[in-house]
Amino acid sequence: MKKFFALLLVILMMVSMAACGKSKDGDTDTTNKTGNKKSDSGKTDDSDTGAIDTSEHVVITYMTTGDKPTNGATEEVMVELNKILKEKVNAELEIYYIGWTDYLSNYNLTLAQMDGTVDLVGTASDWLDAWPNAKNGAFLELSEDMLKTYAPKTWAQVPTENWEMSKYNGEIYLMPEDNFAQWINHGFIYRMDWAKEAGLTNGAHTWDDMTTYFAYVKEAYPNVIPWNSDGSHNIQLASGWMASHTNFLPIDGITAGGLYGGSRDDLYTVWSPFYEGPELVEFAKLMKKWDDIGVWKTDVLNNTGVDNREEMYLGQTSADQHHTETWYGTVEPEMRKRYDIDTGFFYFGEESSNVVSLNITHGAMAISAASKNPERALMVYDLIRNDEECYRLFNYGLQGKQYDLDENGYRIQPEGYNNDTDAITINYWWGRNDDLELKDGKRNHEAYEKLQEEYDKVKMTYPYGQFVAEVSSIQAQINNINEIHTNYMSQIAYGKYNGSAEDIVAEYRAALKQAGFEDVVNELQTQVNDLYK
Amino acid sequence: MKTIANKLDRSSVITRKKRGFFRNIVRHKTLLFMCTPAILFFFAFSYMPLPGIYVAFVKYNYRGGIFGSKFVGFDNFKFLYTSGKLFDLTRNTILYNLAFIILGNLVAVFMAILLNELRAKYFKKVSQTMMFLPYFISHVLVGLLVYNLLNYDYGFVNSVLTNLGLERWGPYSNAKVWPVLIVLIQLWKDTGYSSIVYFAAIMNVDSEIIESARVDGANGFQKIRYIILPSLKPTVIILLLFAMGGIVRGNFGLFYNIIGTNPMLYRTTDIIETYVYRATMTDFNFSTASAVGFYQSIIGFAMVMICNYVVKKIEPDYSLF
Repeated sequence: MKKFFALLLVILMMVSMAACGKSKDGDTDTTNKTGNKKSDSGKTDDSDTGAIDTSEHVVITYMTTGDKPTNGATEEVMVELNKILKEKVNAELEIYYIGWTDYLSNYNLTLAQMDGTVDLVGTASDWLDAWPNAKNGAFLELSEDMLKTYAPKTWAQVPTENWEMSKYNGEIYLMPEDNFAQWINHGFIYRMDWAKEAGLTNGAHTWDDMTTYFAYVKEAYPNVIPWNSDGSHNIQLASGWMASHTNFLPIDGITAGGLYGGSRDDLYTVWSPFYEGPELVEFAKLMKKWDDIGVWKTDVLNNTGVDNREEMYLGQTSADQHHTETWYGTVEPEMRKRYDIDTGFFYFGEESSNVVSLNITHGAMAISAASKNPERALMVYDLIRNDEECYRLFNYGLQGKQYDLDENGYRIQPEGYNNDTDAITINYWWGRNDDLELKDGKRNHEAYEKLQEEYDKVKMTYPYGQFVAEVSSIQAQINNINEIHTNYMSQIAYGKYNGSAEDIVAEYRAALKQAGFEDVVNELQTQVNDLYK
Repeated sequence: MKTIANKLDRSSVITRKKRGFFRNIVRHKTLLFMCTPAILFFFAFSYMPLPGIYVAFVKYNYRGGIFGSKFVGFDNFKFLYTSGKLFDLTRNTILYNLAFIILGNLVAVFMAILLNELRAKYFKKVSQTMMFLPYFISHVLVGLLVYNLLNYDYGFVNSVLTNLGLERWGPYSNAKVWPVLIVLIQLWKDTGYSSIVYFAAIMNVDSEIIESARVDGANGFQKIRYIILPSLKPTVIILLLFAMGGIVRGNFGLFYNIIGTNPMLYRTTDIIETYVYRATMTDFNFSTASAVGFYQSIIGFAMVMICNYVVKKIEPDYSLF
């Protein structure tokens, strides 16, 4: 009996091996197919440039992060948009949402399916793994011919040096959102009325001002949690501190939260203020102080699921940590509407004028390598990025329903607009275009422009746009360093450590050293040297 | 069932000497037919994916697929052993699982016997259902429940404590208490389910034996000690052997939802799964994840073999194979 089952098992194994062998053939088939497809498109280029064949009606799926809307308004807008798209390029556009819960994993998993589920992929080099996905083969290489033929306006709009920054290994993978001014440098949004009561008549402009503010709020309004953080701002805070106290310039996309970088006066020498220097100890001390004041809940590290911004609207908390756009576009108008008060913004790096402007690949569109209609996807993208009618529909919705224009040409909410039933969710952050943008009537443009001017005076352009680190040889170290960095920063940034600040920082640095911190510095230095020196 | 088993015994005795593979198939066609769904199931979900283990040894590329990607040997395992935490993580995982397995089974057997002794029909049904319910609550909710019970500022436990004029208790900054808490939570959640298995086994005990024991003058405790417990032994051993295979596989849902990303508690609560999740979240790598799975499978396999060997030495009848 035993032998019989053993034999059965062996046979099963062999069959299963054979089955998988087959699926391997299947895989090669698909690669061939994509190969063919590319040469096909090449052929179209040669034979009939100018007259693109769009006789076949196709559906293009656009993938974006965000929760699928349920009020039906988005669908109405898409019907209108699709009428235009059908007429112009004989295609229709569908939206594929990656919900916010575990968005990064689901985003990457969807790309990894490689079954043609999606065509246009909204991506970002700093928060949506654009480069790792390009390296893994998820994105289609966009040849200059293809871009010129199928997305001519986009091709013309993006300057050559920006195309250069969208390349990996000499191939263009991303179409960057490079003609859209926005500031997403982080900081604290606080209530001006309380800041004034706390004696900060000019608002808070340093970390010490924030300490004063929080301490005052805690004392004067005992029912308000000064900043009800959900415990996830660890690295954000630490990086903010470094921006304020050093001239460190982090490189995106290597570890969680830019642990490595250069400095403003020496761009291409890789180092990290987390690994050396006295700033981290200072930070640990101040955060311990904040913890003692009671800026956040005692169990802040397990305080997940709290909606801090909503609590700020309700007057239950006094600060929100986010970026300039959120402050000016979202929180400021809302607080004005509810309480008729000003809000202030203390941005990280304010004391030291260390502000870096946005990397152009913070938002970009890519084409999935498994897309069955990459050419048509490009044509659709060219329209939603550059065609005024499509652009307005896609970004703002229907005029008269989702938005309207006032006498100054500013975008306002039409009368009777109800956010619950009329709001649309397109989340198009991968090709907005200042040439076609309508100014938001909610904003106080004068004050905002003043702030932008202030930024423009001190800003530094992100200098590492062209640097895509090749990390496969140091991936093991990076995995462990990420883990260590996140762990210790959670404890340090919330003052949740035992013993002295010096001890915890020394322990953190020893752990980094052990995990191969210096190997990574050396490897990155070599790659930076190859590219820039 | 009994007659089939008898027939099987007899036939295998008769044909022990010489028979071919095909004769065997013909002879056991009914049995094999009945096994087909299970065989198909394991074939499809356990054997077919086996060649995929290869993914642990390549640098996975979406376009190349598993077999078209570059072979990199043991590179994907590197982060595990260079972390310097492999031993601690494996130890935590195994100790927690041992606690779950041993305590879980003891409590489940205990509960099953209690249920069996209950005479009031409705009370029995109600308590069984109450015990069973936590099994259906998702770990996410359990995590929330625990947080709302135990958190320092607004938790239920601390509200009670402060109202009684006692000191607050802060488990979320004290790593030492979590082994106890987590085992308790796991018991609360799973006992109802596992006690059903034992309860069913008790129901299967031949009532004649219990009858005759009573005639012989055995009291309730003796009945449990000399009849019910020994008849549960094979079930306990089989379940233990099965559990051994998963001893290095932690319960990610339980730990991640309760502990979350609170590094102050990692010393006593970090298991292989949670560590790997955090370390590889940022690079989304199928290969490293599979490497870890492979490592766990190998240890699990070794554990099953060793335990089975030990059981076989002590009591050959109870071993799995």
